Amino acid sequence: MTNTIDRFGTASRVLHWLVAISFLLLVLSGLGLYAHTFFGYFDLFGGPQQGIVVHKWAGIVFLIGSVLLFLSHAGEVCRFDADDRRWIARLGGYLSRNAEEIPQGKFNAGQKLFGIFAVIAALVMGATGLVIWDPTAYSRELTQASFLLHSIFFNLFMVGMIVHVYLATIGNPGTLEGMLYGQVRRSWAKKHAGKWFEKVAKN
Amino acid sequence: MKRKAFLIDTTRCTACRSCQVACKQWNKLDAEATVNRGSYENPPDLTPLLYNQIHFIEQEQGDDLRWLFINRRCMHCADAGCVKVCPSAGALYHTKEGLVAYNREKCIECHYCVSGCPFDVPRYDAKQKVTKCHACSDRVQNGLLPACAKACPTQALSFGDRDQLIAEAKAAGKKLYGENDLGGLGVLYVLDDEPGTYRLPKNPAIPASIFFWKDVVKPLGILGFWGAVGVAALHYVTIGPKKLDDADDQPRKGGE
Repeated sequence: MTNTIDRFGTASRVLHWLVAISFLLLVLSGLGLYAHTFFGYFDLFGGPQQGIVVHKWAGIVFLIGSVLLFLSHAGEVCRFDADDRRWIARLGGYLSRNAEEIPQGKFNAGQKLFGIFAVIAALVMGATGLVIWDPTAYSRELTQASFLLHSIFFNLFMVGMIVHVYLATIGNPGTLEGMLYGQVRRSWAKKHAGKWFEKVAKN
Repeated sequence: MKRKAFLIDTTRCTACRSCQVACKQWNKLDAEATVNRGSYENPPDLTPLLYNQIHFIEQEQGDDLRWLFINRRCMHCADAGCVKVCPSAGALYHTKEGLVAYNREKCIECHYCVSGCPFDVPRYDAKQKVTKCHACSDRVQNGLLPACAKACPTQALSFGDRDQLIAEAKAAGKKLYGENDLGGLGVLYVLDDEPGTYRLPKNPAIPASIFFWKDVVKPLGILGFWGAVGVAALHYVTIGPKKLDDADDQPRKGGE
């Protein structure tokens, strides 16, 4: 009997890291447009014009990747049950040292909410990004509104990403293994995804 | 240095377009082919090769024609939307005379200024660099008048010390457009009718979406980013991570 159980298949992991890398590229290539302080980040790409080109195409990869990633998990992500509601009400037990774990499916309610937020944010940023791809292509009002929305969702995304990275790494030891190697330890599954563990263990 | 400005008295303008031509000559801007649209106005709008333009307002009043002219250009705002949104520091900037000039070498071709301008002024040329009236900053720095003001034969277009221009116009009993808008415009108008007649906004302001983008979302976003980092760090050292119970991972006896 092995100590680990399969969580994410190869295709799923590659897709996740493709989205993650394109997100990182988008942040690095876009920060120079966000504030003068970060203008130097364009040097990573050889200059502002090149940085903008990278930003545009990384955006296409990110948009398509995010939608595919969401669709591949949509079945689990979009279904909320009573345990999920309890999880949300108690904020996943993250506000207490000895909180009792509420049994969760493959994804906990927080991950589901993040998945839904991420795909909505990716769609908004993708749509507004396409409008400002050529900032003179559409009406001034639409372009101006797109700059505003692009900026709002960028900031929300950064906050969401900090929470995501923290909880998926040092905040919950063992979680990253699932996304790196495809398998998680039994102890992890039992603690974090009780209902999923029961289901998988039975088979 | 004291702020300089244009004062454009539309009641004195005869639409001779010396200003258009002088600007093209000084700034070495090629002529453009246009079509006859049934109006003396030509070209119909600012272009990458036309930094100032005489806009014709032609109103039919019975058998009569009311003809109004206004010189249109960059308004050299103190609170300039283009400078506010430009990501490349120094690509669009205020000169020491308070005029909005630009450095094409620093323009990163993002077109943000086109959206940031309340007056729809900046244009992009064939090389995808920003162009607009820069108040002949090269001439002004050397004590000369901008080419347009130099060429104007009717004194419709004057250039000089902003406070002095305002004082003189007021002393002559003239009503000014742009004295206090956007921190005070660098182009002041004496109009013969409502601003709307001249296609000028009555109360020019930075577009609301641009204001929220740069003055609300950006500072809140920086606060949110460091706030989230701080909360995560605080969570880690106070409540701490959800540690796993390693006993669950011990291999069971007898190869169960």
